Amino acid sequence: MDSRERVLLTLNHKEPDRVPYDMGGTVVTGIQAKAYSRLRKYLGLPEKEIVIIDILQQLAQVDEDVMERMGLDCKNISPRSTASFKIDLKLTPDGRYSYFYDEYQVGWRMPVDGGMYYDMFHHPLSGNITEEDVDRYTLPDPIDPSRFGGLPEAARKVLDEEKRALVIGNISAGIFELYLWTRGFKDGYTEWAENPTMAKKILRKYSDLQLAYWERMFQVMDGIPIDVVQMADDLAGQNGMLISPVSYRRLLKPFHKEMFDYIHSKTDAKIFFHSCGSIRPLIPDLIEVGVDILNPVQVSAANMDSAALKRDFGKDICFWGGGVDTQNALDERHTPDEVRADVRKRLQDLMPGGGFVFNTVHNIQGNVPPENIMAMWETVQECGVYHN
Amino acid sequence: MELKTIYDAVVNGDVQEMQKLIQEALADGIPAETILHEALISAMTQVGCLFEAQEYYVPEMLVSAKAMQTGMQSLKPLLASEGTRSDGKSNPKAAFGTVKGDLHDIGKDLVIIMLEGAGFQVTDLGVDVSPEKFIQAIDDGAQLIGLSAMLTTTMLNMKGTIEAFQVAGVRDRVKVLVGGAPLNQSYADHIGADGFAKDASSAIRKAKELLQ
Repeated sequence: MDSRERVLLTLNHKEPDRVPYDMGGTVVTGIQAKAYSRLRKYLGLPEKEIVIIDILQQLAQVDEDVMERMGLDCKNISPRSTASFKIDLKLTPDGRYSYFYDEYQVGWRMPVDGGMYYDMFHHPLSGNITEEDVDRYTLPDPIDPSRFGGLPEAARKVLDEEKRALVIGNISAGIFELYLWTRGFKDGYTEWAENPTMAKKILRKYSDLQLAYWERMFQVMDGIPIDVVQMADDLAGQNGMLISPVSYRRLLKPFHKEMFDYIHSKTDAKIFFHSCGSIRPLIPDLIEVGVDILNPVQVSAANMDSAALKRDFGKDICFWGGGVDTQNALDERHTPDEVRADVRKRLQDLMPGGGFVFNTVHNIQGNVPPENIMAMWETVQECGVYHN
Repeated sequence: MELKTIYDAVVNGDVQEMQKLIQEALADGIPAETILHEALISAMTQVGCLFEAQEYYVPEMLVSAKAMQTGMQSLKPLLASEGTRSDGKSNPKAAFGTVKGDLHDIGKDLVIIMLEGAGFQVTDLGVDVSPEKFIQAIDDGAQLIGLSAMLTTTMLNMKGTIEAFQVAGVRDRVKVLVGGAPLNQSYADHIGADGFAKDASSAIRKAKELLQ
């Protein structure tokens, strides 16, 4: 059984030979550069320059030698953003932060001393804005040809030579995320409750951008089978939803439905949807609007116990993530034995009947030692086998 | 007019009406102090309860906070003097920031808004705050220090910050409250914090408890 067959079986809720394993198949199931560099060394692989595929999260490109060594089953081929846009990295005058503006004019910075990620410091639509301000705000060109150059060839290679599952990412973060990033968190959340008409106008603009991107993507791929389309919108926090389920249904769900209906009408790809946190109250809604796969399955958030999720929703949605509790069992504070115990529990909870792709909860962070990554991997090799 | 009208306007996030309602209450002879405590502050306490019960979420809480702050603006010139209460005691002083390396401020900002709503004088030290800056805030009179972190990677800097308080000899002068998504009580105990709160509303309760 090749990697692609393995993934497709599980995504159709059937048990393959073993649990498929992902690391780097999306920008939310990857590995941070520092952890990746240590992992390569630990595995005795040749030293090489680490390619950063996501500057914000400092994610490493997982190289072919690591993919082969670990038997990774999924591959992402999309140019996530930027295309012709070039990031212009600068240092603040006091030398404390490196910073840049992205193609949405959102400003990002990272502490030079010990920083692991870029975080936002500038939001182009913050403050008191009018509808005209929204109209005037220019977005990048979603169908700029340089975004799509070489993609069909890369996709063919993944499918025909590597025989891995093909994952294609979105042009940007989710529309609600982009709304908060451009509007600013405080202004965006306040507006969500105070002036939903404005919020919807902004969401419409971002949704149109993404629909145009997907339309062009499907034209460019011209019949090449895409296995998974990766979407996201962070809607929940550690203890509960960030916005009320009622406001999700009223303001955001119609946009999700429109987008996912369009994607399902154009491709057989499964829709992978990422939202961190305690997303449980919305899982039935997500199933209803056509989400096939839930990620990252943050098992440490409130009401997100892996066994209960599988019991209540496992027939209708696949879990891609939740393979180990990243917050409480994986990083340098934990021993490889603790990692093994948590992975065994998650496998028991999530693998029966298929519908499960192994991944950590979100990306492997910079403070995860290679011993723990490999303890996790070994446990999946040992306990993630189906006996059918 | 009844104070309940102002209380309801805060709970319902009726920002537009606030100034008018406060002026009406003052014209009816209700003292500014009374409006502050019995309408604005008690309404924000109720908002905190609704948040904990997951009837309110971040957006509703922020709109209520905006209504409360609008009301405060109208009352401020009339209050005896900033930082004092009618019983003569001064309001407790606190300083909050995210620890070194952490740039995530929405949680911290919510806690500050709620604490101000509960009558605390809060200094916002911002994000990526060095131990030295927290120590300066203690020297400036803060009785409560709030440390916030959203990541498993940055929360480790909380321990170093509290140790720095000890080295500087200021640890006994303050209470340290910690919070943020990846934290729990046992981690707070482990690093020697005085208190842990899992959300904005319980942070207010904990802050009051620590300063009793």
